[in-house]
Amino acid sequence: MAKVVVIGSGFAGQTAALYLGSKIGKKHEITVVSNRDVFGYVPSWVWVGMGHMKPEQTIFKLKPVYDRKNIRFVHAAVTEIHPDPGDQYIIETEIGSGQTVRLDYDYLIIASGPFLNYAGTPGLGPENGYTHSICTLPHAVKARDAYLALCERMRKGEKVKIVVGTGHPLATCQGAAFEYLVNIHKDLLKKGLRDKADLLWLSNEPELGDFGVNGVQIKRNGHILRSEEFIRSVFNDHGIRYQVQTGVTKVEEGKIYWQNYQGEEGVTEFDFAMLIPQFKGQPFKYIGKDGSDVSSKLVNPAGFVVVDAIYGLSYEELAQTPEAWPARYQNPNYPNIFAAGIAFAPPGPISKPFTNKNNLAITASPPRTGMVSGMIGRVVAMNVIDLIEKGSMTHEERMSEMVVACIASMGDSLWDGNAVTIVMRPVVPNRKKYHNEYGRDLFISHLEMGLAGAWMKFMLHHTFIWKFKGLPGWTLIPE
Amino acid sequence: MSGSQEFSKAEKFWMSFKLYQLWRFIVLSIKVYIAAVQSKWK
Ligand SMILES: Cc1cc2nc3c(=O)[nH]c(=O)nc-3n(C[C@H](O)[C@H](O)[C@H](O)COP(=O)(O)OP(=O)(O)OC[C@H]3O[C@@H](n4cnc5c(N)ncnc54)[C@H](O)[C@@H]3O)c2cc1C
Repeated sequence: MAKVVVIGSGFAGQTAALYLGSKIGKKHEITVVSNRDVFGYVPSWVWVGMGHMKPEQTIFKLKPVYDRKNIRFVHAAVTEIHPDPGDQYIIETEIGSGQTVRLDYDYLIIASGPFLNYAGTPGLGPENGYTHSICTLPHAVKARDAYLALCERMRKGEKVKIVVGTGHPLATCQGAAFEYLVNIHKDLLKKGLRDKADLLWLSNEPELGDFGVNGVQIKRNGHILRSEEFIRSVFNDHGIRYQVQTGVTKVEEGKIYWQNYQGEEGVTEFDFAMLIPQFKGQPFKYIGKDGSDVSSKLVNPAGFVVVDAIYGLSYEELAQTPEAWPARYQNPNYPNIFAAGIAFAPPGPISKPFTNKNNLAITASPPRTGMVSGMIGRVVAMNVIDLIEKGSMTHEERMSEMVVACIASMGDSLWDGNAVTIVMRPVVPNRKKYHNEYGRDLFISHLEMGLAGAWMKFMLHHTFIWKFKGLPGWTLIPE
Repeated sequence: MSGSQEFSKAEKFWMSFKLYQLWRFIVLSIKVYIAAVQSKWK
């Protein structure tokens, strides 16, 4: 009987666990270790963060799902990974009892998502800083309370400054921040307060609409439409100001300090700011049999798990090498360790990197969205099943092949809501397969705004929660 | 939108015209589903 351990129960870990439990859970021991005992549907935290959805509508308990799917659940925070052959285990601290426990594995899937590095920008974040975040549910609730309090101030006639975007020169996840900003716009319109707020998009992207993926390009009526043009129209239309090519370096009460591509330094004042922090890998300790630190064999300096990618290429080389992106998400030094979702180390940025004259790198890091994370979770789970049952792997999918759909809502109303629907194939431009300057399938790729997107967003919330609960027909719902 | 950097009145009309949006919803859902399902065969 093989022992498979999955760390994390987000988009990647939950997808992997469901496939593993359903397919081999009766014959083998599948364990999920997660420091949260609930699954959180992260995309809807945008709505939680402004009081449009109750937090409990975005979560459900994991244990009952796992009981049905032959999966063991351990509610604990993993602290150490011991990867050396012959003695492979993880150390975790159980939530509640505080007990430290050892858990042996034959296969380990690290799907522990991002470590939110607020400390990377002094003054950033809702705990030790002055800005808000919607990256965790408690943070989204805190952002909601602050936002609603701000609305009260506006009702009394005060004019306020709202800044949304990235809070670190190397941050990612611009899509979520964009969605939050346009939802704020719509919410203020409905509340009759829009004229009381100055809205600013502050981002490290090289240009508007880049979203960390080098933008989206589609063919419409024989012309190429770029997301830069499209998002600019959205902002112009909504009266939202924007400032890109900007890395936030420090935050003080009511003040955001930044540098831009030109090396200029500036300060932006705010009453409310939601800025995405830098993402890093979880700070696990990687310990060898002799007690030595083996982290260099497992993770890159940012703590992301090194996998079967080609690392070390220049941006220009990487842009021409789609096969540099990993296919199996397997660690080369420890082949029974896999990484899924945000936890794996990408070979480099998708967006054009930039370093200004003060030597500050301002580069949008590559996003690993929910859909991408789910797909990787499935590929990894299917390969672990292959290895256990057949001894060799048959599944692979690179981000330079994957199609991804993203819907950025603008209000949650099914009657007068709106949303930008983005479909992109592949996520990472593949110039060897798609012979245009963008490296994208311009037929499948899609960019559209309208009420239909709001309906899709609503549908996705419900179908994905259905899927992640492993309810009947869940495998028919694609990742 | 093209050139003017703002959505035209006609574009805004279609964005909220319910019958047209129902059509877009069906098209988009099929497009996303087919594209995503292809990935399952890998
Ligand atoms: C506000 C917001 C909106 C978004 N909207 C969209 C969207 O519309 N569409 C889209 O595709 N993507 C969206 N994303 C991105 C998407 O949420 C992420 O890509 C996705 O959650 C990544 O999945 P993951 O499994 O890698 O990580 P996570 O979902 O972060 O899961 C990590 C898991 O690991 C666990 N964990 C962490 N540390 C430990 C530890 N030490 N021990 C044990 N367990 C641990 C956590 O509890 C969690 O269960 C959004 C993100 C945000 C923040």
